[in-house]
Amino acid sequence: MTASLTGRQAERYARHLSLQELGPRGQQKLLQSRVLIVGVGALGSPASLYLAAAGVGTLGLCDHDAVRLSNLQRQVLHQTASIGQSKVEAGARALHALNPEVRIETHPYAVTAANALTLLAGYDAIVDGTDTFAARYLLSDAAYLAGKPLVHGSIFRIEGQVTDFVPGQGCYRCLYPEPPPPGLVSDSPAVGVFAPLPGIIGCIQAAETIKLLTGRGDPLIGRVLLHDSLAMTFREVRYRRDPACPLCGDRPAIRGLVDYEAFVQAAGSR
Amino acid sequence: MNGSRHHRQQILAQVGERGQSRLRRSSALVVGLGGLGSPAALYLAAAGVGRLGLIDDQAVELSNLQRQVLYTEADLGRPKVEAARARLRAIDSELRVEAIAGTLRPDNAAVLAAAYDVLIDGTDAFETKFLLNDVAVLLKRPLVHGAVLQWHGQVLTVRPGDPCLRCLFREPPDPGDVQSCEEAGILGATTGVVGSVQAEEALKLMLGLPGVLAGRLFQHDGLSGETRVIPFPRDEACPVCSARPLIADLGRYTEQVSPRGHLVKPRG
Repeated sequence: MTASLTGRQAERYARHLSLQELGPRGQQKLLQSRVLIVGVGALGSPASLYLAAAGVGTLGLCDHDAVRLSNLQRQVLHQTASIGQSKVEAGARALHALNPEVRIETHPYAVTAANALTLLAGYDAIVDGTDTFAARYLLSDAAYLAGKPLVHGSIFRIEGQVTDFVPGQGCYRCLYPEPPPPGLVSDSPAVGVFAPLPGIIGCIQAAETIKLLTGRGDPLIGRVLLHDSLAMTFREVRYRRDPACPLCGDRPAIRGLVDYEAFVQAAGSR
Repeated sequence: MNGSRHHRQQILAQVGERGQSRLRRSSALVVGLGGLGSPAALYLAAAGVGRLGLIDDQAVELSNLQRQVLYTEADLGRPKVEAARARLRAIDSELRVEAIAGTLRPDNAAVLAAAYDVLIDGTDAFETKFLLNDVAVLLKRPLVHGAVLQWHGQVLTVRPGDPCLRCLFREPPDPGDVQSCEEAGILGATTGVVGSVQAEEALKLMLGLPGVLAGRLFQHDGLSGETRVIPFPRDEACPVCSARPLIADLGRYTEQVSPRGHLVKPRG
């Protein structure tokens, strides 16, 4: 099997080749995989850096934003010279410099109900690096409908969480049937973030993606890992697919993507 | 103020303007600029720490790029500390970086450690890990220890008076009892998790915040997805941090500790 890796690949990925659970077969699998990272900010930075370093063959980057000075406190994919540039273009350049073997596909727009299913269809796994509840529900619904595994991560002030949504084994709606009241949304510039927190969450997302792609280890399916960075505690909470879930339950009501802004906005009035 | 570099961190109740300026006046020595040092240095630079000392004697190799995200292909063959300085200053040009192309040894450790507020263990050599621990205890400098192998990683923090690495592991394992990273392999993302936890710990130490991993060991297993923090006690017979230490004088370190970090047994 090693014969199919080039000499340069064998050298670059040497630490993977000696890992019992990956080895040359696992590395081949990664090289043939296509991963979409939605949101190239706090979580997308470490996730994309470690997935590119690991040799995932194709990385799709989706983000509509430009790099801002206030991003640099935690978005380590970007640098001062990239301020004002599109995050996907700046990110693509940084990832290419790290590993030119990786094909980067740039999607310089926001993921919406109109484009999500087409966008996700082209990838084997999706990493959620978004920072709004509307986008999280949208991605979870879209990943389920498209039949793709979704590695969910989110951060709020000093806390973060990670879990994997594999179609039929639980989704974001099973975990959180209702969005929180409007105003708690963490993309607000009024909400603080501790710099290394997204590093921990984004790197765990990268590891989970590698496990899902290669079929190795025990992915965080039906388990959500919760981290409090100031208390430095981690705890795991188990959840199950909810038979009453409107998306992935026994009698699903949602058969297509809906209006997620309205869904989140309405949360306060329900 | 929304546009300012550290705005999102400064508005955290636990940081504030005072905390942010405290970070700007703080410094850390990152020992080893590889899998752990990469994310630790990136996040400390991004967070607004004022001064970073970087110590490593190696040049960037192709096999590093599978996990050492501080570097690019253009850095191949370049000393790691120089490539790291350029990358970190590209994030924040106000960051002061002291690049030391060398290794931490018993004869330079005291001077180097004394020049920084926090020590960060990013090495993969057991003797350096134990040297750093001993220096931290004897010089009363806070240390954030980290280690990784395969899918596993660990972190603990040693402030003056806290249980130390030798309370948990008295000596390094014997050579031959453990596999090296080359032999056993390593998942890049695991180094990212551990190095980021080390950065969190270092920032909390600089900010004087509670909740650090003092007398607690962070253990992460990326393969099973299990992460936990377990308490550990002080070893009353610890060779370095107990009331009657075997290792008490850095000036005579090589008489007390072997080049591989083992205790030199008293004669007779």
